[in-house]
Amino acid sequence: MKLKSRQSRLQVGLLLLPGLAFFALFTIYPILKLFYMSFLNWDMGSMLRQTFAGVENYKAVLSDGTFRIAFTNTLLYTVVTVPGQMILGLLAAVLINEIPHFRVGFRVIYYIPVITSWVIVSLVFRYIFNTEGMLNYLLTNVLGWTGQYIHWLDSRWGGLFVAMMLGIWKGVGWNLVVFLAALQSVPKELYESAEMDGCGSVQKFFYITLPSINPTILFALVMLTIGGFNVFTSVKMITGGKPMHQTETVLTWMYYKAFTTGEFGYAAALSFIVAVTLILLAVLQFKAMKQKDEAR
Amino acid sequence: MQKLNRKKASGNMLRYVLLVIGGFVSILPMIYMISTSLKPNGALYEFPPRFFPSLNELTGENYVYIFKQEKFYLNFLNSVLVSILTVLIAAFVAAALAFCLARFEFIGKKLLFGLVIGTMIIPGTTLIITQYQLASRFHITNKLLGLVPFYVAWVIPFSTFMIKSYIEGIPRDFDEAVYADGGSVFTVFFRVILPLASPAIASVSIFNFLTAWEEFPWALTVLNDAEKLTLPIAISGFFGQHQFTQWGYVFAMSVASLIPVLLIFICCQKYFVSGLQAGGLKG
Repeated sequence: MKLKSRQSRLQVGLLLLPGLAFFALFTIYPILKLFYMSFLNWDMGSMLRQTFAGVENYKAVLSDGTFRIAFTNTLLYTVVTVPGQMILGLLAAVLINEIPHFRVGFRVIYYIPVITSWVIVSLVFRYIFNTEGMLNYLLTNVLGWTGQYIHWLDSRWGGLFVAMMLGIWKGVGWNLVVFLAALQSVPKELYESAEMDGCGSVQKFFYITLPSINPTILFALVMLTIGGFNVFTSVKMITGGKPMHQTETVLTWMYYKAFTTGEFGYAAALSFIVAVTLILLAVLQFKAMKQKDEAR
Repeated sequence: MQKLNRKKASGNMLRYVLLVIGGFVSILPMIYMISTSLKPNGALYEFPPRFFPSLNELTGENYVYIFKQEKFYLNFLNSVLVSILTVLIAAFVAAALAFCLARFEFIGKKLLFGLVIGTMIIPGTTLIITQYQLASRFHITNKLLGLVPFYVAWVIPFSTFMIKSYIEGIPRDFDEAVYADGGSVFTVFFRVILPLASPAIASVSIFNFLTAWEEFPWALTVLNDAEKLTLPIAISGFFGQHQFTQWGYVFAMSVASLIPVLLIFICCQKYFVSGLQAGGLKG
């Protein structure tokens, strides 16, 4: 709508103002400042006087062995937890969609991990995976599958494994609810005509269900990839990056560099590398899904 | 036909079994947390570990300890206050922004909407350094209410996006009728759009409440004094306090902090689901 009177223009301006102010001051300004900072020599020692460093910070990040470990860990975490959650969530959604009773009950139960805060579930997982904890006792003393207790939290792969299990466990419910809505919007006639043609459940799933919910899959993929790179609280609480920074993720490592060693320039460059990676990944995912759509 | 029905029934049986197993895995850790919070602290390092406390060692001592601490009530109230303020401010600000984006043409509208979507992609934690500098410049570090503007700013993009999609579904005839009667933009927003968009506002508000209630990295970074902490920081602080973690206290406090969330979840099931589904279907 085109605005005619001066009064209505003023009122629209007043409605826009608070949102614009919050957004500009607390989001856009910090982004621009971060970008600027990533080109400066800025650490604890040079709090007052910063000098221009060019791309030195970016070079420092990319050639840092710990950053590479943290980046690999984050990538692995994302590559494992995103499909893990999506497949289990979709499976649960398909099952719930086909049962006659207790649909709401199951949905509620599966959603409980989603609404529980990361701090709490991380501590619970830490307790379960403790070397003297319940899981080791079950695996070794009760089931006899392992000869001795596994030090889950004291190694790179053990710590990452626990964080990944937590990520998948906590995310299934969200995927379930999102996919269930998508499944319910697939036209029933499609299934009916497929049944006429003699399609079984498996065929129906791959030829009708999956293509019909393609937009939802893309939505979940993009959101979860962002979430995967965002992994912070669970790793901080479960391993704290130990042993020897072997389980750091990009964000825990950024946080350590900023608030423990005070290398702000380095941390700013790291943040930007993460942000750019995510934007590229999102664009790639959109492109790939579009192509798949057109190929069909 | 009967054979077909039997096949269907056995298929459903299999579905129920699988769903029950999955549901069991979903809540098992939570049950373990509750059962551990009911054990005496000494029993937490026992061998063999037991899932449930035996009846004679069942105790509320962890809860008594937590509830006797004045700090706990402060932390709890802090979380309530911050979450409610975040929800109220964000609801108004995002709804106003969404209304303008959905209904009017103005310079820079496309850019603004692009930025709103774009910032959803960037993880909030990456901005923590410059946001911290901003907070120190305004002298709002280590201040409870200093958390609120940052939380509001974080939830604005998602909230605006969701409310805008909803407002676009409201017929413009409603607006036109008000304008024809000589109503202003404000009248349309406050009398027509806000009430009609309330389901969308309610569902984003629930998510905003959860976001503020459980937020960890930012509160951890800016808050120092014990009486100013929010619950997640207080819980994580309990965890690192002693050489041997007092798991009983940690979990008793965790259970207490979960109660408001569970209450909201149970009361507002409808909005929870509709909010998520709108996001998923729009893609």
